[in-house]
Amino acid sequence: MYEVSNVRVNYGAAAAVSDVNLRIDAGELVVVLGPNGAGKSTLVNAMAGLHAVEAGRLAVDGHDITRSPPHRFCDRGIAIVPEGRRLFANLSVRENLELGSYRAEARRARTESMERVCALFPVLAERLGAPAGALSGGQQQMVAIGRALMARPRFLLLDEPSLGLSPMVVHELFRAIRQVNAEGMAVLLVEQNVAMALELARRAYVLDEGRIAAEGLPSELVGRDDIRRAYLGTK
Amino acid sequence: MKGALALCAALFCALPFAGLPAFYESFLYLLLHAIVLATSWNLLSGYSGYFSFGHGAFFGIGVYTTAALAGRLGWPFLWTLPLAALAAAALGAGLGAVVFRVRALRGELFALLTLAITFVLATVALNTVDGGPGIQVMVDVPKITPTASGFLYLLMLGAAALTLWTAYAMAHSRFGTGLFAIRDDEDVAEVMGVPTYRFKLAAFAISCALAGLAGGIHAIFVSYVTVAETFSIALAVNVVLMSALGGTRHWLGPAVGAVAITVLLYAFTGGEAAVIGRALSGLILIIVIVAMPEGILGQILKRFRRRELPRSARKGSEVSVQITTRALGEPLLVVQGLTKAFKGVQALAGANLEVRRGEILGLVGPNGSGKSTLINLVSGHYRADGGSIRFEGRELAGIPAHRIARAGIARTYQIPRPFPQLTVLQNVALPPMFGQVVMDRAAAAREAWRWLEFTNLGDKANSYPGELNLHQRKFLELARALAARPKLIFLDEVLSGLTPLEMDGALRLIRAIREQGASVVFVEHVMRAVMELADRVVVLTYGRAIAAGMPLDVMRHPEVVSAYLGAAHV
Repeated sequence: MYEVSNVRVNYGAAAAVSDVNLRIDAGELVVVLGPNGAGKSTLVNAMAGLHAVEAGRLAVDGHDITRSPPHRFCDRGIAIVPEGRRLFANLSVRENLELGSYRAEARRARTESMERVCALFPVLAERLGAPAGALSGGQQQMVAIGRALMARPRFLLLDEPSLGLSPMVVHELFRAIRQVNAEGMAVLLVEQNVAMALELARRAYVLDEGRIAAEGLPSELVGRDDIRRAYLGTK
Repeated sequence: MKGALALCAALFCALPFAGLPAFYESFLYLLLHAIVLATSWNLLSGYSGYFSFGHGAFFGIGVYTTAALAGRLGWPFLWTLPLAALAAAALGAGLGAVVFRVRALRGELFALLTLAITFVLATVALNTVDGGPGIQVMVDVPKITPTASGFLYLLMLGAAALTLWTAYAMAHSRFGTGLFAIRDDEDVAEVMGVPTYRFKLAAFAISCALAGLAGGIHAIFVSYVTVAETFSIALAVNVVLMSALGGTRHWLGPAVGAVAITVLLYAFTGGEAAVIGRALSGLILIIVIVAMPEGILGQILKRFRRRELPRSARKGSEVSVQITTRALGEPLLVVQGLTKAFKGVQALAGANLEVRRGEILGLVGPNGSGKSTLINLVSGHYRADGGSIRFEGRELAGIPAHRIARAGIARTYQIPRPFPQLTVLQNVALPPMFGQVVMDRAAAAREAWRWLEFTNLGDKANSYPGELNLHQRKFLELARALAARPKLIFLDEVLSGLTPLEMDGALRLIRAIREQGASVVFVEHVMRAVMELADRVVVLTYGRAIAAGMPLDVMRHPEVVSAYLGAAHV
C-alpha cells in the first residue's frame, strides 16, 4: 500500500498541494481528477520522488520514503510516466525501454519484461530499432509506459497519458492500462478524459486548489450533483 | 537624470586636463577599451545568442587597417578610424551572409567557426601587410590635450559612449526585441515575423564595426603592432568572460563586467603581488560565476523584476473589431497536392485543404497523419517538397516564414514554445511589432495586455513562461498568436487536457476569435470540441485528406470511423 498523509508540496513559493491524504492499495486502480492548476502533476511528481515534499509523509508498506532520493522510490517499486513523455528522442525504442530496467533486479528480468511490453503494445515490437523521436505521438506514449513497466514496479503513476492522442490510440492505451492492472499492478491515473477514467477506476479523488475536494467510488462521485457539475462536466 | 549624465560626461572629458599621472590616463583608457570590446561583442553574442570567439579577429582587422594606412602610408590617422570600422564590418557581414543562411551553424559550431576565422586572419595578416616583424605606428596626435595618452583616452571615451548608446538603443527597439527572440528560439521568432537573417547580419556588422573602431584607436595607443599580440584568443576569451560576469542579457552588463575584471587585474600589479593577484582574481571570478549565473547585473535586476507595471500601462488598447468587408465563405487558403517527406517517411502525400473566410475548420486524423506537418509547411517552418499553398490568391510555398506571418497567418505550437527568457508580456508583445501593421514597443505592449486579458493570463504578465503550468503555456501560445491579429490562425491542440468545465470557456474563446474576423483552423482530438466548434471538418490520414464536410456527416463516414475513431462516435 502506498500511503500519502497530510502532504504539502510547494511550487515556487506557494503551496501547490496542501494537506492531501491519499492511498493506493495493492493492485488497485485509483484516478485523480480536477481542473488544470489544481496540483495534480505536482502531487504525482512528489509521489515519484521528483519533487520535494514540504510536510507530511509518504510511505510504502509502512516504510517512510518522504525524504528519500528518487532512486529509492524506484527501489520501493514506484514508477512514473511523466506528463509530456520525456523520451530520449535520439535513442532507439529498444534503448529507451532498456533504460527503464536499470536496477539490478529489473535488469535480470529484462528479456522477460521486454517481451511483456511488446505483447502489451504489439506495434512497438515492429519498431524496436527506430529512434523514439520518429514515432507518432501515440506510439511515443506507449514507449513511455513501456519504459516505466521495464522497471517492474508495483505502483505505476500515469500523468495524463491520453493528452493529445487520437480516440483510437486512447482506447488502445486504456485497454493496456486495464490489462496491466488486471495482472496485479497498482495504478494511479491522472486524467482529463473523465468518462473513460471513471469507467476504469476502482476509487477516485477530486483535487481542487491543492486539496482533496472529494473521494469515493466512481458511482458515488457521479451521483453527487455538486461534484458532477463542478468537476466532471457530465450532464 | 539627464543633468547627472551631462555632469558625468563633462567630468570624464575634463580628466586629461587635470594633470593626473600618465598611469591613470592609460588605466582609464584600458578600462574604456575593455568596455567597448565587451559591449560590442554582446550586441551579437549576448543579444542574439550567437556566441562568437572571433571578436579578436574583427578587433585585429581594425588594428591592422589603421597600422597599415597611418603607419605605413602616412594617412592622417583620424581618417583611418572610420575605415577600420568599415573593414571590420564588411568582413563580419561577409562572413554572416554565408554562415547565417545555414540552419545547422548555430551554437557551438558558430563559436568554432569564429574561432577559426581568428587563425585564418592572423595568418593572412602575417604574410601580407605585416610581413613578420610587425608595424611601427608613429603618428602625430593633435595637441588638444596636455599629453598624447590624454587624447587617446578622449577618443576611446567617444568610442565607449557611442558603443553604450548603441547597446542601449538596440536593447530598447524592435531590433533588440527581435534579437532577444532569436536568442530564445530562432525558428519561432521567424514564424512570429522577425526577419532573422537580416537582423543577425545587421547585429554582426554593428558589433564588428565597433570592435574595428576600438582596434584602430588601439593601434595608435600601442604604437607597435604585431600579429601575435593582436589576433590573440586571449582577447576573445576575456571579452566573453567580462560579458558573462556582468550579464549578457542587459545592455550595461558587459560594461559592468569589463570594469570589474580590469580593476581586478590592475589591483595587483608588480612583483610577488601579481602572481597572488592573478590567482585571487581567478578565484573571485569562479565564485561570482557559480553564484551568479546570470551575471552581476542580471542578478541585481532579478530582485527588482517583480515590480508591477503602472496601472495605466496595463490598460488594453481599444478593441477595434476587424470586420472583413469581403464576403464570408470565399476561399482564403487553398492548399493543393502538398507533399513533404522526412528521411524517407512520407508525412504529407498530396494533401488538399481549403479554408474559407470566416469559418472554423476542424482538422482531425490519427497521430502521425501529417496535421502538424501541414501547419509547419503553411507557416513556413519547413519548406514543402511539392504542391502549392495559396493565401488570398498569393503563392506562399518557398516564402520565408517572417513574410508569411506578415501576410496574416499565425499559429500555435502543440508543445508550447514560448521564449523562455522573455516575460509572458514580452512574449505576447513580440508579434505585434513584426506583424501586418508594425507597432512600436509601447503600442505592442498595450496590444499584448489586451490579449493576455482575453486569455485570462493578465495576472501572469510579469512571470516567465517556466513558471506557468502546461495549460497556461498553451494559452500563452494562443495569446501570442492572436496578438499578431492574423487573418488566419492555426491552433495545434490548444484544447487538449482541459476539464469539461474549462472546455466550455475555451470554446467560447475560440468563437470570440472568429467574431473578430479571423478564420480558424484547429487540430484537435477532443471530439466534443470538434463537434461543437467546427463549421466543417477535414480528416487527414497518411498525409492525405480522406474526408471533408459537416462534422456529423464526416464522423459517420465509414473510412473515418475505421481509420480514426475506432468506434462510431455519434
